[in-house]
Amino acid sequence: MSVPKLNVADVAGLARLSLTPDETTKFSSQLSQILAHMETLGQIGTGDVPEVVPPAQPALRKDIPTPSLTVEAALSNAPAQSNDLILVPKIVE
Amino acid sequence: MSSSGNWEAVIGLEVHVQLRTQTKMFCGCINQYGGAPNSQVCPVCLGMPGSLPAPNEEAIRRTILTGLMFGCRIANVARFDRKNYFYPDMPKNYQISQFDDPLCAGGAVGLDPFLFPKDLQETDEAKAKRSIRLTRIHLEEDVAKSFHYEERSGIDFNRAGTPLMEIVSEADLRTAGEAFAFLGSLRQVLLSGNVSDADMEKGQMRCDVNVSVRPVGQKEFGTKVELKNLNSISGVRRALVYEIARQIAAVEKGEAIQHETRRWDDEAGATFTMRTKEKAHDYRYFPEPDLLPVRTDQGLRAAAESGLPELPAALQDRLMRENGVTAYQASVLAADRILCTYYEKAALGTQHKAVVANWILNDFLATQPEPASSPVRPEFFGELADLVAGGTINSAQAKKVFAELMANPSSPKALVEKLGLAQISDASALGVYCDEAIAANPRSVEDYRAGKGNAINALKGFVMKKSQGKANPAQVDEILKAKLSA
Amino acid sequence: MSLAHETLASLRRRLVAKEIHPRDIIKDLLAQIDAREKTVHAFTHLDGQAALATAEKADLSLPLGGLPIALKDNLNALGDPCTCSSKILEGYRAPYDATAVARLRQAGALFLGRTNMDEFAMGSSTENSALGVTRNPWDSTRIPGGSSGGSAAAVAGRLAIAALGSDTGGSIRQPAALCGCVGLKPTYGRISRYGLVAFASSLDQIGPLTRTVEDSALLLSALAGHDPRDNTTDLRKPETFLAKPTGSVKGLRIGLPKEYFLPGMNAETEASIRSAASWFEKNGATLVEVSLPHTPAAIAVYYILATAEASANLARFDGVRYGRRAVDPKDLLDLYQRTRSEGFGPEVKRRIILGTFVLSQGYSDAFYRKAQKVRGLLRQDFESAFTKCDLLLTPTSPEPAFPLGERTQDPLKMYLADVFTISTNLAGNGAISLPCGFTKSNLPIGLQLIGPRFGEETMLGAAHAFEQAHDFWKRMPPV
Ligand SMILES: [Zn+2]
Repeated sequence: MSVPKLNVADVAGLARLSLTPDETTKFSSQLSQILAHMETLGQIGTGDVPEVVPPAQPALRKDIPTPSLTVEAALSNAPAQSNDLILVPKIVE
Repeated sequence: MSSSGNWEAVIGLEVHVQLRTQTKMFCGCINQYGGAPNSQVCPVCLGMPGSLPAPNEEAIRRTILTGLMFGCRIANVARFDRKNYFYPDMPKNYQISQFDDPLCAGGAVGLDPFLFPKDLQETDEAKAKRSIRLTRIHLEEDVAKSFHYEERSGIDFNRAGTPLMEIVSEADLRTAGEAFAFLGSLRQVLLSGNVSDADMEKGQMRCDVNVSVRPVGQKEFGTKVELKNLNSISGVRRALVYEIARQIAAVEKGEAIQHETRRWDDEAGATFTMRTKEKAHDYRYFPEPDLLPVRTDQGLRAAAESGLPELPAALQDRLMRENGVTAYQASVLAADRILCTYYEKAALGTQHKAVVANWILNDFLATQPEPASSPVRPEFFGELADLVAGGTINSAQAKKVFAELMANPSSPKALVEKLGLAQISDASALGVYCDEAIAANPRSVEDYRAGKGNAINALKGFVMKKSQGKANPAQVDEILKAKLSA
Repeated sequence: MSLAHETLASLRRRLVAKEIHPRDIIKDLLAQIDAREKTVHAFTHLDGQAALATAEKADLSLPLGGLPIALKDNLNALGDPCTCSSKILEGYRAPYDATAVARLRQAGALFLGRTNMDEFAMGSSTENSALGVTRNPWDSTRIPGGSSGGSAAAVAGRLAIAALGSDTGGSIRQPAALCGCVGLKPTYGRISRYGLVAFASSLDQIGPLTRTVEDSALLLSALAGHDPRDNTTDLRKPETFLAKPTGSVKGLRIGLPKEYFLPGMNAETEASIRSAASWFEKNGATLVEVSLPHTPAAIAVYYILATAEASANLARFDGVRYGRRAVDPKDLLDLYQRTRSEGFGPEVKRRIILGTFVLSQGYSDAFYRKAQKVRGLLRQDFESAFTKCDLLLTPTSPEPAFPLGERTQDPLKMYLADVFTISTNLAGNGAISLPCGFTKSNLPIGLQLIGPRFGEETMLGAAHAFEQAHDFWKRMPPV
């Protein structure tokens, strides 16, 4: 496997990061170095690695209500709000 | 549409169904519509830093139950995955969903002929009783609700994190009518299992449609279009009728169909381009590390099995076979569990179960559409049917009793007395009336004896009049004939 | 002598005997902090008055009654900030208690100080903090290790008696080693992660940083146990750890993984570890060479899986519901991009991009899925090693604390230094780091003992015996 071409700006876009040209250049070289190291995994045979057997059923939650936060507490960290709604720039589909 | 004979549509549905549970999918906040904004939220469903999901056992059980009802394969080990995309209605910017190992796979929905649109119920497509394959059913969390203003949007997270089941069909549907029947049949089963209220108009059931057209006989699919904003089962039908015609008209003109998402505008009765799909979303699914795999083989599946209801198709069969109701009546009853329970209670104590079905479905529903809240106790219908069958009242009298039953509900037996309606079936009392009739109508007697059979009607009329309509007509007939031929 | 030099266990004895009052401990710590925090900078937030006020109401009948604990700044404590040393959580106040915090509160503990860390626990030096660097109390030109560098520096520097940290790839053990204190990463599932701001969910564990193994066991006993809010916590019953330490290591089989002793490792570190191993042998343990053959792959596996999980875990920091929001966003995309680009530091961005990439279409098979499979092999390595021994003995870090700024431009070199700690997070095992010597220039060296899954009792017993037979833990840093 050859080192894949990593388009840093595209991937950053998926993660909702916008990079400066400097960051893009720096991350590109650092990340391709790191990816080259990760490529070494390709040499390890994993054909018949058994799947990790899940443990016995963990405790699932019973369907019984527990108290919610007060509206005030729920909104106390919100950067912008009005009429108990959290505001964002208009969502356009 | 002139050439629609040469084209067929290929339709697949993705149906989201809100589960009826007390609490949300991954936290203990209540799962209830209509609370004050952001009053049913906690660190988990707000995606606060550090919070973790705790899966709701009941939601998992109901999803498995749904799978069992549709004949799906239930995974022994199911997993949750993260579906990554940014959207303000999704607190964590990933949705906990299921990708590789959903709870249910396969299965099918049988199309109930009576759940086709009324105008199509007599057609071959309705009578074909097709079965539409399901791809999968998985469980995920719902997103928040947004309100849009001039420049900004406001978000209420009460709905965020409520349990949502996604039911995906294979592209087996061919007509708008089938899509309509599919949703109705699906809903009927969901209601029977008490899994969801599944009302599209309340958003409890939401539907995305994929539709394409191709020449009849072609194997390959055409370019598919996704339809959104479908808010009722009949809206789905209307949208499909429009969209299929639009696509056929376009390809006949030689235009290419765009791979796009179109929005159904119910008022305009047309679909409009919402967005074109230049680039597929990259959701970067991966197993949700905060949750262990769910094992269904250690009690969950068994718990779901023990809650399996009698499915609508089986119920219809039984009602027709054991109660003698018509196929249509059986379908109406199976479609409405509350009504059906009411009917079954009504029919329990009587042999005349089909008669009870007629009373309830024809007469009762017309006056009282909500049987559950009706003061008319279901046993009254059995009693009424028995009074008619046993000859206590005739059918004309039964109508009067029914009217009184609706107005002042109480036992039909009591009503018969109250109205003074009890039919006279006592032979000696009737004999007196008959003797009077013979004495007072010598001409009719002569005519009858001379061979004019109809002449007996005058004598019967006399008896009915004398008895104020209470005489048992069949018995009067018998007695008169006996006396006249003596 | 200032109470700041004592341990939880000794303070507890004196509190119960009514020799001292909880407020005395807080006052002595505040005096130390006054004198040394300017140099060390272990804390991101400190409210001495609040701690003094709760000290007055301390319930000494509880197991940790009146004892002050410092919290890493990624643990939610109701009403307090929780910055994760990131600008993006500016102004955030926790609306709830982490389960670990709640359990300490229920056990009577007080909280003093929130400790500095690498931003979102991403780093091995605490240099990736948006709130300033922390310095090693043994040499203020050097890093304290990371990511729980603030917790380790506070405990080593006598600014805290004990602290909580979190460990995703060595973030408790490596700074403990570099600062000369005891750092415990419990078995995955032992302590609830609810309320710990997630870096990599399948690897993160909360654990104590203390001056002694006894203190470590005391905190573990209060923290361990199933939590219905964390689906990944183990269901076994609560235990009291190290209730009756024997002080003996007789009969223990100590495994030395050959992949952890390679030519070229720091000579002073190697000498200290070898001499620790021979102490075990001299005291009745047997040494066995074992192999963990997939060790060379661990770093690649770790940085694929940890960044993949982090890329999703950190998606929630978007300026919508809490924390910092970009000023005057022109639309939704602008809100997201500017909030995140302004709010995250370079290492966090680098890891989010890496994690997004290894999950992206076309690459997830070669990276993410492949790494998951190799993780399975690593887990098998440990399982088969523990059929031959009871504990593994390794260095915690390949070298002592390095100078500030030395590696900030070379992330790969920084990542490679995590080689001895990372595998245990991938396998889920518990491990402890404790002091086992000093370099000629007086820098602490850490010994790591790794136990089988849920084998903390054996691990703590052996660590306690080693510690009590030496006096490394008593040495005071010069700063
Ligand atoms: Zn909630």
